[in-house]
Amino acid sequence: MNCKETTRFLHGYLDAELALGDALAVEEHLQGCPRCRTHHANLRAVQTAVRRHIEHHAAPASLRARLAARYGDEDGSTAASTRRWSGVAAAGAAALLLAAVWIGAGSVDDRSKRAAQLPAKVVVHISQSGSATAALRNLANHLEASPGTTVVVVAHNEGVDFLMRGARDASGQLYESAVAKLKSRGVDFRICGNTLVRLKFDSGQVIPAATLVPSGVAEISRLQTQEGYAYLRL
Amino acid sequence: MGRPLPEQQKRKRFERLVLPHSGTAYNLAIWLVRNEAQAEEAVQEAYLRAFQYFDAFRGENARPWLLRIVRNTCYTLIARNRELGEPDVFDEGDHGEETVAPGAVVSFPANPETAAIESADRELVQRCVGALPAEFREVVILRELQECSYKEISAIAEIPIGTVMSRLARGRRLLEVALDRHVERKETGT
Ligand SMILES: [Zn+2]
Repeated sequence: MNCKETTRFLHGYLDAELALGDALAVEEHLQGCPRCRTHHANLRAVQTAVRRHIEHHAAPASLRARLAARYGDEDGSTAASTRRWSGVAAAGAAALLLAAVWIGAGSVDDRSKRAAQLPAKVVVHISQSGSATAALRNLANHLEASPGTTVVVVAHNEGVDFLMRGARDASGQLYESAVAKLKSRGVDFRICGNTLVRLKFDSGQVIPAATLVPSGVAEISRLQTQEGYAYLRL
Repeated sequence: MGRPLPEQQKRKRFERLVLPHSGTAYNLAIWLVRNEAQAEEAVQEAYLRAFQYFDAFRGENARPWLLRIVRNTCYTLIARNRELGEPDVFDEGDHGEETVAPGAVVSFPANPETAAIESADRELVQRCVGALPAEFREVVILRELQECSYKEISAIAEIPIGTVMSRLARGRRLLEVALDRHVERKETGT
């Protein structure tokens, strides 16, 4: 892949929207090209700044109450629903709703045509900060439903955050305990070494439950092509 | 599935699939209309339409479907207010798309520095994102704030995936330059 193609693919790479082959090619080019690396670092800095600082405007309670009164089911569950929504608004993260996450995974399935139904072996790709909470919850649900599934979680790009010592979710819970719980049920956590170098993390900052692999993208590719894993991005 | 759902069943399904997204809906609305009262109005109108057309909705993930309605409602509201001569809270900026062909390579004089961008603060980010022309602002908001996939953004904004990518690229490039430039100004005190 040359500079021109890399520039074109860089946003897709940043957004984890590339097919694995393309992502690998971008990664390879970035390793050898300082100019594209700077370009990529700048785009990532923009993305990080926006995600870190952009304001989530919570819907006013009065609006939620009005909508609930008007469109809620009338069998008395409305009050409970209002309470549930306040929780969602308080977390400021309606984007984490489960349905949305599974549909997100579905769009990848269309491409890889491998994981229409969750099969025996699944590699879960976490590449965004903030998506780990929903991903882990989904995994737990999924394991509940089909306990025989072998799951490998590969954290890459901003997705590595939750595997750092002391990392907490939006409600202040340590990720480490959720990870330990899943690990006790056989889920394997692997973290991308390239990402650690790029984001200037030290491997000592990674929780011991996670295993370091040289490249997250290459690991996913290997699991898919050599070990028959189905791919899910969460 | 072809005939309309009984009323009670429809309400239950609507409550389960559509009502929980009111926070996301409001958030998108406020970033599009840039005004709290109008964002509330847009969300209420969007829910009204969503309920009306809910029989036609299939599937389990109503979020992109609802956001598309919210987006349309916001632009209708903006156009209506313009006709009525109400104060224009909708900031077009000076980089309208008509001057930039999709995917065009635009040269910027500045050579932004990663460290400068990284030092951007909360207030600066709000200001720079708020100043983006609407067509770039909406894809940035849908992507970074709502964490929508390209496919979902394409469905919500009713544009091809290629356009999602070129608008996102252009939006980020504008932000890159704006964030870098403001930080520089702050440092030199001008
Ligand atoms: Zn290059």
